[in-house]
Amino acid sequence: MMNPLRIAADEWRLWYRSRLAMVGLAAVIGLLAGTATITALRVHTESKDRTEGQVQADEHFLTQPDRHPHRMIHYGHYVFRTPAPLAIFDPGIDALTGDAIFLEGHRQNSATFASAQASTNLGGFGALTPALMYQLFVPLLLIAFGHSVILRERELGTLPTLLAQGLSTSTLVAGKMLALVGLITLLLLPALLVLFFALANGASAIVSLTVVLSYALYLLVWAAIIMLASLTSRHRSWALGVLLGIWFSWTLLIPRLGATITRLRIPTAGKIEMDLLMQEDIRRAGDGHNATDPAFVNIRTELLAQHNVERVEDLPVNIRGVVAEASEAALTTIMNRYANTRMRLEVSQAKAVTSFGWLSPPLALSAASQTLAGTDLATHHRFLREAEKLRLDFVQGLNRIHAQQLRYQDDIDRSRNTEAEKRTRVSAESWSLLKKFSFSRAQANDRISVAFRYWMMLIAWVAGIAVACGLATRRLAP
Amino acid sequence: MRSIYRELRFLSRDRAAILWLGLAFVITLLAVTAGLYEVQSQRSRLMQLLQADRSDRRIVTEKHNDWGSIAYHSFHLTFDAPSPLAFAALGQRELLPWKHRIRMLALEGQIYEADATNPAFTSIGRFDFAFVASNLLPLFVIFLLYGLRSDERAAGRFELLVATAGNGGHLWMTRATVRLGLLALCILSPLVGAAVGEGSPPHLVIFAGSAVLLHLVFWWIVSNEVSRLTQWSSPVLLTALIGLWLWFAVLSPSAIHTVIERLIPLPNGSEILLTQREAVNDAWDLPKKTTMTAFTERHPQWRGQADINQPFEWKWYYAFQQVGDQVTEPLSQQYDSGRLARNHLTTRLSFLAPPMWLEQTLQSLASTDVGAALSYEKSIRNFHAQLRAFYYQKLFEDQPFTAQALEQRPEYSKAHLH
Repeated sequence: MMNPLRIAADEWRLWYRSRLAMVGLAAVIGLLAGTATITALRVHTESKDRTEGQVQADEHFLTQPDRHPHRMIHYGHYVFRTPAPLAIFDPGIDALTGDAIFLEGHRQNSATFASAQASTNLGGFGALTPALMYQLFVPLLLIAFGHSVILRERELGTLPTLLAQGLSTSTLVAGKMLALVGLITLLLLPALLVLFFALANGASAIVSLTVVLSYALYLLVWAAIIMLASLTSRHRSWALGVLLGIWFSWTLLIPRLGATITRLRIPTAGKIEMDLLMQEDIRRAGDGHNATDPAFVNIRTELLAQHNVERVEDLPVNIRGVVAEASEAALTTIMNRYANTRMRLEVSQAKAVTSFGWLSPPLALSAASQTLAGTDLATHHRFLREAEKLRLDFVQGLNRIHAQQLRYQDDIDRSRNTEAEKRTRVSAESWSLLKKFSFSRAQANDRISVAFRYWMMLIAWVAGIAVACGLATRRLAP
Repeated sequence: MRSIYRELRFLSRDRAAILWLGLAFVITLLAVTAGLYEVQSQRSRLMQLLQADRSDRRIVTEKHNDWGSIAYHSFHLTFDAPSPLAFAALGQRELLPWKHRIRMLALEGQIYEADATNPAFTSIGRFDFAFVASNLLPLFVIFLLYGLRSDERAAGRFELLVATAGNGGHLWMTRATVRLGLLALCILSPLVGAAVGEGSPPHLVIFAGSAVLLHLVFWWIVSNEVSRLTQWSSPVLLTALIGLWLWFAVLSPSAIHTVIERLIPLPNGSEILLTQREAVNDAWDLPKKTTMTAFTERHPQWRGQADINQPFEWKWYYAFQQVGDQVTEPLSQQYDSGRLARNHLTTRLSFLAPPMWLEQTLQSLASTDVGAALSYEKSIRNFHAQLRAFYYQKLFEDQPFTAQALEQRPEYSKAHLH
């Protein structure tokens, strides 16, 4: 009696004896090791640079001399996003988004200096990462190894003999599948190594495990489709051609076509268009530098009534600071409205592209992988939001100092009177109101539950192909 | 001639070949159409932006009536409109900005702002003609040619065929020529059609077409040599050829990229911004004389008018913005020359990876390469310098503000690009 394990062992022995197969396997494992090392080194440098950058930015802000608080609002602050621990496996969109933002009053700047902008023109695929290797190139190796698992028996004429010896077709197919699963397990070892390394650098264990499982599931889709092609084709060339065609449309064609279709279906305005539109709204909200701007007449009358005085000079607070705070709040509401619209649109675009994952498993996997690694669009948006929170916090803190600690008369005289100008300088100790920025990614559970949506796509693929394989197995005849 | 006719008839019965040729045609057609759409939408967006930009400046002019404030509040749109061949290679326009709004403040703080597209798109990559021609075309060549010899061998007809053909090489040559001729037709006809519609300069289209053909011939030679020199069966041959494609289209470019980044390091981008911001902010506390001396070193013509008597004067304000740029200059020049050097080296090394070479060539013909983006940046710097020259004269000579004088203010135009 033959069991599946023996069939698998035969297959493994056959692969082991083929020099071409071993060269291919060694090449892919070598490449995995190479890309993993290069990516890890790069992420390590980035991480160090940005952590240092943040320390330096904090220090710069805190060591500014005594000065007018509004000057500090324009002096501004920098925040950096340090790479996720799992970025050494899948850096996702990190290279495209920029990792530092300049925070200042009255403006929401975008993240600048995406590293890809300064890099060389690469053409088709961009920098290779371990994630990309698994998504695109490991399947090619699986195809090369696996397309002939059943077909070879047929072409060599050993299939009838095997079946005549009482081997059931399902045992045969299970054994061959086991051979492919063994190969997948071997190929996943380098990924495990990278993830252990990430674990040592603070990645969550459960998330890292989910990453491996996602890739295992993804490669299982490939094993299933390869088995199906091997079961249903008449010739090896034909099976190979079909599988390469599938590889080609899943990895190259459908994702790019999907992105192109989504662009046409959900257009977004660029930043400049948004800025121009926003400018209209902002003009209506008034200029916070000018306390006599008609937009702030209300604040003035209310303040005067509240403190029961006639002139702004007699107010216990500096109306300039009060107006600055009110206008920053109004401005931020407008800016956040535009920023949120933009982010929502970007998210819906990303969702629309990912829905092509129902047609292309690599797209589904890449979405799951980026989500889990914390290198996806949602994480980038989270960074933007947290930076904005910090911006508003220190700007409004400084505005309150402006309102409470500066005399109005000095404030208006300071452009002409040097003594008054000196009195408007606030002690440097006040700058310690700046909060420390440390970007935190979404919780492990949240990331896993989002990734699970993309798992559904992969599970559907495996299930669908498995059913087809089952039918083909039953019809398998010598 | 008769042999070509025979091969055509032979081909018409090869379903796989017909499938690949049809696929090549449809995919190229889609890619070209998508490129045309994108270029069209970039143009119409640019038109709208130009209009909004003008009206934005008009509002500023109505609200303010002194040179300093007008300069402070007026933004100017600069842009690099897509070229007539941009549809074929959208290139770096996705990643590198092709439109900016700038004003009289220190330029270093503004020029690196990017009007970026959704990174979810950028990470997937473009679907344009350049992608098809450089990355997919080799696969089509491989699929069409790999089985020519080995299938005949497998069917046991090989020796017979070579013997009856008299000249064996000639037979495979005709067979491959017919297939690749049709492939070239499938890939180039959508390009030429779209180029005629777009009014692209014919010489550029001819260059682009020749580059594509050259690339095709490279893959022909590769496929032919591998199958001529080995006795491999079709599946092994196909696997080996796909391996070569991986090597040339994916691994070599990636290796070249890594090597270049190591060879030519760039100053950290955020350092430029930090330096510039420190310089500009420190100026508020520095003696005005220090700033003005640094300023007049570059602009000696204003030496006589550089005395500042008020705690705040616009000419001093813009002078320290300028000095901020001057302080950053070494870093920013290093950044620029580094990017230029990376680009040069990439172009020179690209012959090691023909697909990358083709993509570079198409992008440079379409003015969508890194070089084009860098020269656009240069044009922004030139325009900004003109704006400064205009306002400096008004501010330092203390000219009264008039609407007529404002009409002389430089406007950004395409001319800045060349």
